[in-house]
Amino acid sequence: MTILKHFILIAAILFTANMQSQTQYEQGMQKAFDLWETNPIEASQLFERIANAEPDNWLPPYYAAETLILNGFTKLNDKSALEAQLNKAQNFLNDATAISKENPEIMVMQALLYTVYVASDGAKYGMTLSGKVMALYTKAEAIAPNNPRVVLNKADWEIGGARYFGQDTQPFCKDVERALELFATFKPESKFAPSWGKERAEEILKDCK
Amino acid sequence: MKQTFLIFFYLLTLSATSQTIINGNVTDTKNQPIEGANVYLDGTYDGTTTDENGNFSFKTSETGFKTLKVSFLAFETLLLTKDISELNNLQLKLREDVNALDTVVISAGTFSAGDNSKISVLKPLDVVTTASALGDFVGALQTLPGTTTVAEDGRLFVRGGEAEETQIFIDGIRVFTPYVPTTNNTPTRGRYSPFLFDGITFSTGGYSAEFGQALSSVLLLNTIEEPDQEKTDIGIMSVGASLGHTEKWESSSLSVNGSYINLAPYVALFPDRNDWIKPFQGGSGEAVFRQKTNTGLLKLYSAFEFGSFDLIQEDINFSEGIHNKMNNQNLYFNGSYKGSLGGNWSVFGGLSYTYNKSEFEVMDDNIADKENSYHAKFKLHHRFSNRFKINFGAEYFVTNFNEAYDNPFINDISYGFKNNLSAAFAESDVFFSKNLALKAGLRMEYSELFEQLTLSPRLSLAYKTSAKSQVSLAYGNFFQNPNNNILKFEQDLNAQKTAHYILNYQLNNDGQIFRAEAFYKDYKHLIKYDTEYADFNSNYNNSGSAYATGIDLFWRDSKSIKNLDYWVSYSFLDSERDYNNYPIEATPNFVNTHNLSLVTKYWIENWRSQFGMSYSFASGRTYTNPNMAGFLNQKTKSYNSLSVNWAYLISPQKILYLSVNNVLGIKNVNGYQYADTPDSNGNYASRTLRPAADQFFFVGFFWTISEKGTDNQLKNL
Repeated sequence: MTILKHFILIAAILFTANMQSQTQYEQGMQKAFDLWETNPIEASQLFERIANAEPDNWLPPYYAAETLILNGFTKLNDKSALEAQLNKAQNFLNDATAISKENPEIMVMQALLYTVYVASDGAKYGMTLSGKVMALYTKAEAIAPNNPRVVLNKADWEIGGARYFGQDTQPFCKDVERALELFATFKPESKFAPSWGKERAEEILKDCK
Repeated sequence: MKQTFLIFFYLLTLSATSQTIINGNVTDTKNQPIEGANVYLDGTYDGTTTDENGNFSFKTSETGFKTLKVSFLAFETLLLTKDISELNNLQLKLREDVNALDTVVISAGTFSAGDNSKISVLKPLDVVTTASALGDFVGALQTLPGTTTVAEDGRLFVRGGEAEETQIFIDGIRVFTPYVPTTNNTPTRGRYSPFLFDGITFSTGGYSAEFGQALSSVLLLNTIEEPDQEKTDIGIMSVGASLGHTEKWESSSLSVNGSYINLAPYVALFPDRNDWIKPFQGGSGEAVFRQKTNTGLLKLYSAFEFGSFDLIQEDINFSEGIHNKMNNQNLYFNGSYKGSLGGNWSVFGGLSYTYNKSEFEVMDDNIADKENSYHAKFKLHHRFSNRFKINFGAEYFVTNFNEAYDNPFINDISYGFKNNLSAAFAESDVFFSKNLALKAGLRMEYSELFEQLTLSPRLSLAYKTSAKSQVSLAYGNFFQNPNNNILKFEQDLNAQKTAHYILNYQLNNDGQIFRAEAFYKDYKHLIKYDTEYADFNSNYNNSGSAYATGIDLFWRDSKSIKNLDYWVSYSFLDSERDYNNYPIEATPNFVNTHNLSLVTKYWIENWRSQFGMSYSFASGRTYTNPNMAGFLNQKTKSYNSLSVNWAYLISPQKILYLSVNNVLGIKNVNGYQYADTPDSNGNYASRTLRPAADQFFFVGFFWTISEKGTDNQLKNL
């Protein structure tokens, strides 16, 4: 056996090892997405573990936060549990932002996190957070005017405000329609890049009519 | 053959690495199993979640020294670094995270407003939506227990203390002249716009060693760190107008705010008990600039204000009344920097400057006051862990006060003093567990004027008695130099002193808060003098003393009835003083034995309206009737006032605001004035002291214009 053969073999093994880690990421992410439907907290924990193993990838902390934030909407009345959960989600978003700056997807998620606080106690958080939510959407829109999640969530927030004041929601419903068109052509940047929101858009449109 | 063997060997190496099993059990400090904790090897994919018995087990291909991480909500993350082979049959205990929402809080003596505090009693909106407050933050605080109702004054009188015993701080830096001067039958207001602050902490006793020169109370106001967006605010009111604008850049922002108040049209429409020559008019401008740096935040706040009035007030000794004219100019600057130094150290530095000029003309007397004051503060904070933190620093106060007096019968004279004071403080916060916390501090002050050194220990302890209730204790010594009205005549004195003893119980249910607090205050070295008014000719000493004791109760409920939020405060106060020119120990005229406030807010969704109501009751205050024997021998009738307001959201950007103070028009009495000399029958004639106006009406329209039409007046509701 020549040295060259040895080299090729070792290279092949290293490559396999690397492949294995690639698939480990994909397997892990896939498993977490599957878990999400049945147990969002465990899914979040798996995303947390992946985030620890992949310190340069913003997606695992982003999803670790998203699972906790969306779950937060289901426990609006349990103040201390909600605050603990949102604090943890905030830490994940801080990690994601540190990896990927000026990212409109993370801004949308930050706005959603604030929305949970406002939904849990409007009198307490409405004053300080409403403006922040809108500012985040405005900034995300400036960076990515055709990102369907930016268009959708901004419209969703504005519909909520318009309903509250008994105003016309139609202009915002038009935005939701536009978001739906954008979803049709939207191509995620990578396999696990955010692609959610289409179902939510359809749901909102139903209420619009 | 040799090659096959080699390949086998390589494959073996690959698969051999996934052999080790890591297992164990996770519990809390009380050995209760923790289900759902996240257990994993740091930096790898290997890990799992604990089951209902707290057990975990997973395989890993890692070898050598690795860190096992165990994390769970509301617990501190545990890190364990060991050789992989030793990571089995582990018995792991997680400690509760003392930053969690349900941790005990040192709450004795403290009321906070804001969304960042765990024990907020008031919400940020409350300051502007309390019916009787009329947008004044001081007015909103007067609905809390521990304050007494001195309707004609408007300042904060806390637990038997005089108004000067409460100090106000903006971003941790002292405000020397926080109130707008008014006539003596009209309550004053705080100088600063409530919209600039997002956190208010009102302490009625036992406060931190960081704060000094306040015998009774401190009020801490924090300016907003980062405005949400660019906008313009326009306000048109029955008493004036206001205009504000906020501009934002990448890492900095500027807010400016101006207002003009003129009471002339209002007084023409609703004449009051004063005979106005020139009704109150005043203007103010405020600006806040904020700059974010990589590791900190710089804030610069400045405010300028002027006000004037000219009137004739009724007086029992002068049938033609007393001519009273005032001109005031006030400039305040406050700059502070807060930043992180790394390694769990943070730094704060701040400076404030106050220039205040007042000119009074009272009959033939002309009095001109000039005050120049500075406050500089530097402090460091170090967090050893979530459970142990220290805070220490130093500060320096300079007050330079001058008064010029002239009168047709006396030659012009001027006099004044310099009251410079240095202080150092250190304080630590210790959490023994989630249920027991201690705050202990020491403050040292040196007064250059008195060449006096004082030491004030401060101590508070909080213990959680159940998931929703806690008990706190606080003790502290507090020193304060005599106020300007004494110091301008006599400087050979000492600091006045109080000791506070506070016992507090708090119950926090979701949407409901109950607080009960008992206190005892022991005053020593109060100033006494031997003439009717403090004057050059008076003899002064520090021999005065006083006590104040009582109970404060507070209940707030925003849950029981839909869309209704209300709170009730009750204070019982027993206080006697022997100070100033008192011949005996007596209950001073700013003390009410019973104080009750009820504030309600009701939101009607369909009308997009909030209806507010506030009722306050205070038992009578003492006064001296010279026709009878004794000193402060009588009490006025009790005080009652019911105020209502209505806020209507025309659209998200436009709000209409209406309010009426004392809607029932109850004729309240603040006290009585007696003639200096008796009439021919030996009887002293008297005059009832009433507020300038029994009622006050307010109508305002506020409009916010933001670039996207997104920000809204809901904030101002």
